[in-house]
Amino acid sequence: MASSALPGQLLGPTKSNNIGAGTHISSSNLYASIAGPLTSNPSTSKSSPAPTISISRPSGDLLPEVNTTIIGKITRTNPRQASLSILALGPTGAHVLREPLPALIRQQDIRATEVDKVKMAECFRVGDVVRANVISLGDERAYYLSTARNELGVVMAWSEAGNVMVPVSWREFVDEATGAREGRKVAKPV
Amino acid sequence: MQADRRRINAPAGGTAAPVFTFTGNEDLLQRPTRTRKADEHRKIFLRTKVVPSASGSAYYEIPPAKSTSSNGNLVPAASNLKITCTVHGPRPLPRNAAFSPNLLLSTHVKFAPFATRQRRGYIRDASERDLGVHLETALRGVIIGERWPKSGCEVVITVLEGEEDGWWGDQQQGSEKSGGWGMMSVLAGCITVASAALIDAGIDCVDMVSGGTAALVRNPESKTEEVVLDPSPPEHEIKAACVVAYLQSRDEITEMWMKGEVGEGTEFLTDQAVKSAMMTRTVLVEAVKEGLEVEGAVESFNGAPKAAKGKGKDVDMTD
Repeated sequence: MASSALPGQLLGPTKSNNIGAGTHISSSNLYASIAGPLTSNPSTSKSSPAPTISISRPSGDLLPEVNTTIIGKITRTNPRQASLSILALGPTGAHVLREPLPALIRQQDIRATEVDKVKMAECFRVGDVVRANVISLGDERAYYLSTARNELGVVMAWSEAGNVMVPVSWREFVDEATGAREGRKVAKPV
Repeated sequence: MQADRRRINAPAGGTAAPVFTFTGNEDLLQRPTRTRKADEHRKIFLRTKVVPSASGSAYYEIPPAKSTSSNGNLVPAASNLKITCTVHGPRPLPRNAAFSPNLLLSTHVKFAPFATRQRRGYIRDASERDLGVHLETALRGVIIGERWPKSGCEVVITVLEGEEDGWWGDQQQGSEKSGGWGMMSVLAGCITVASAALIDAGIDCVDMVSGGTAALVRNPESKTEEVVLDPSPPEHEIKAACVVAYLQSRDEITEMWMKGEVGEGTEFLTDQAVKSAMMTRTVLVEAVKEGLEVEGAVESFNGAPKAAKGKGKDVDMTD
């Protein structure tokens, strides 16, 4: 098999190949739909022994999907939700987007426990850099995100005085210069 | 069409250098003749990744044939075709747009003001909008829009040098024979270059679409008619022409534009246009492969020699 494919290239019948990313099915055959290197993952389940054929995009993912981890910056908050713009994809922000995408985190998606006691002011402030997970493509405007996991939440925050703060617990950052403590939904360092 | 009120406009009319009347050697003004065979395409230059700030881009050029370029005359006998295309997207829709489960495609075709002998305005005119609509139908059939919900994609084409509608010498002598034939080659070029740019942007397509033209031409000497591929309007007396956007691996046509009096030869003319599209596709395939190799995504394509990279290797256009 060729190591890479071009759009419209026949990859084999659907009986012996499973559809993966970057491919499509037309009249019970699998075809490539983007140009890039081909990968074939052998099947792990016994019921469908066919390998999964996928093509990876040389430029990396273009848009977030459900379950993508993203890095974003809070743009606006109100008691019910925080708006942010998605700046990069991946847990470490490996793939920077060409332009920011609008998103929001609802109050009930901030943390996993004691959901109704969450106060927005103790979790996010405008300007915080946040790692979050996409839970839905959302409405016509914003993607819906969640930080309800230990490793998700604020990764960088600035104090009222304008200094970079360091995390001290799962719910607090401290400004080392002034000693002031501020509440945040802190991401566990990974 | 309202006048352009925002700029100081150049006077309407040609901007070619003045051609003075010849006294003795009138034959210097010679109509270019077709030197390639009837089923031969002009050479095409195509390259992707020309605009770093766009998600995908491509440049397409048909350089002038050597034999037809000026015989002692400063003004070239026939124009070249130079088209750039940039693709922006998939990008988020504007704030006020409604939810869309598909990718919203929009195409813009614009001639540069200096693209043709007759200066173009800065505002898109009717023919440019017409080309944009033709291009949009051609591309809509290949893009898999469901993969990109609530996002848009913009295909922007700038024609840097357009194909002429006829020989400029005819226009000089005042005979009105313009039939808009140049637009047909421009559209075929637009389709091919947009396809390359879309693939470069990584947008899912069912196939690689390529554009091709064929024309029914009348030979003024032998008074016979024949069908030629990739007509260059200054070289021919065109009776009818056809452009198709063709998907070779699916054997589908997403766009077809026919103009003129064909008579019974409609099907044959379309077939020849498809043949021309198959030839352009060979260049398109090589350009896309080269783009992948440049990016380092692929070591080399199916064991193709790596030495040829970036050196403008020639592709034999065969179908």
